[in-house]
Amino acid sequence: MNFKSFIKDKILQISFLLFGIATIEIFLLAYPVGSFIKIYIPIIILTLYSISILIEYLQKNMYYKNIYKMLEKLQEKYLVTEIIDKPNFSDAKVLKEIIQETNKSMIENVNKYKYMTEDYKEYIEMWIHEIKIPISTSKMIIENNKTEATKSIDEELEKIENYIEQALFYARSNTVEKDYYIKKWNLKEIVNEVIRKNKTVLIGEKISINTHNLDIYVNTDSKWIIFILNQIVQNSIKYRKLDKQSEIEIYAKKGKENASLYIRDNGIGIKKGEETRVFEKGFTGTNGRKSNKKSTGIGLYLCKKLCDKLGIGIELESVQDEGTEVKLIFPNSSYIDMM
Amino acid sequence: MPKILIVEDDEKLRNELEIFLSHNGYLTEILKKFDNTIQDILNLDSDLILLDINLPGADGEFVCKEIRKQSNVPIIMVTSRDNEIDELLSLNYGADQYITKPFNIQILLAKISSLLRRTKMGISQEKIVVQGFTLNISKSTIENEYKEIELTKNEFKILKYLVEHQNKIVSREEIMDYLWESESFIDDNTLSVNITRLRNKLEELGLKEIIETKRGQGYILK
Repeated sequence: MNFKSFIKDKILQISFLLFGIATIEIFLLAYPVGSFIKIYIPIIILTLYSISILIEYLQKNMYYKNIYKMLEKLQEKYLVTEIIDKPNFSDAKVLKEIIQETNKSMIENVNKYKYMTEDYKEYIEMWIHEIKIPISTSKMIIENNKTEATKSIDEELEKIENYIEQALFYARSNTVEKDYYIKKWNLKEIVNEVIRKNKTVLIGEKISINTHNLDIYVNTDSKWIIFILNQIVQNSIKYRKLDKQSEIEIYAKKGKENASLYIRDNGIGIKKGEETRVFEKGFTGTNGRKSNKKSTGIGLYLCKKLCDKLGIGIELESVQDEGTEVKLIFPNSSYIDMM
Repeated sequence: MPKILIVEDDEKLRNELEIFLSHNGYLTEILKKFDNTIQDILNLDSDLILLDINLPGADGEFVCKEIRKQSNVPIIMVTSRDNEIDELLSLNYGADQYITKPFNIQILLAKISSLLRRTKMGISQEKIVVQGFTLNISKSTIENEYKEIELTKNEFKILKYLVEHQNKIVSREEIMDYLWESESFIDDNTLSVNITRLRNKLEELGLKEIIETKRGQGYILK
């Protein structure tokens, strides 16, 4: 609030006052009054008025400045209505009431959407648990009736399972902290689990797996890491080179402050300049737009999002036509190591 | 033969599980009604129970807890939820193992046989005697009256699989699947090399051409 605009607001008052003084002066001219009084009256009125609006300005200015200061400090600015002082002038009182009222209705509105997303998330989770039953049954039927055709259906079922899993983790990705239990895990256990998950495709497509140096312990929640690793391995499978022996190498290195897990393939690689964008939501790139790949641009986006939430670093390097290497960095947590 | 009780409300899945388990050498029993689940389970007196966590009328966890009060029968809890809280809870209620849908069939079998072995009911043996030689499981060797030959880890697993499926054709994929399940991620070439070495070792025992190659289909142990 600057002084100029404050005075501007008072222009009507001031002009009325000046007009009033002028009429008094005209009356006084018609009567035999001493010149002292003629001078004293306008001066005393103007002085007192000036002081009063000066006080008013200082008071209001201080009040609003204070609010601005609080706004600056607050992360969630809408909470300011909760902490501002009770004003001692009426227009601010009215304004505060109005802001509080609109704020309340805004929060209600936000909550409505919060419940809606929560509700939807719950529905998705429930749906995913339901759909697992017919999938289980189908897999059992296939196991009991092994033919070329059912084997092929089994492969398709595995794809369905992977999409379902992606949906589940997507739904959960905003509330990782609610479902996160840290334990000491051997990287070998986690990697083996992921390889086992993909064994049908890996064996069927004759992709060789080379794992070494994995006997390293990290503190993490295996469920999330298995999901992340699974997405990466599936990318290696999807973007393999069809004209030569595909290989996926998985190994780890222990550093002073962290342990790194490397997943390297000899696939088609990523076009130069696109490596940095693969973690963007919906980014499919040159590879993904090839007709047979059907990339959704979700897998790596979700990996990055989850890694960020779990405090794990994720980096990707690639040379087109030679292969891709993804690195997951697990920081040492001294606190848990002590326990 | 050990008797496994399947407590699962999905009829189709239940039937398929029954077929699958009987194919794999187990007797099976199924529960069709769920109005008196706990008593029915106890009356059937089985060697192992596959217990679904979502049952009509009763919570699987509650059922598990009640059975535990009266019996020490091994219980594998089956669920479609996959979070650690559920796992902890069901173990807390006295289940011995926990498996999530859609489950890996080999893992299910492995869990069943390890649980049964622990309660001394399993189809486990120290040695498997085959025509012409004996597969020693604890020492991972093959032997006859005159000789004992050591096998590598992979050779042993391959031979064990062939022995378990004697006189049946097993495809290369099936063998690899079995090996990968036990965390030996060998490739096609390594499998060929291992088969050759196995043949040589069996020949040392005087068993020629006991593993036959069926072109385009796989191998068969005669």
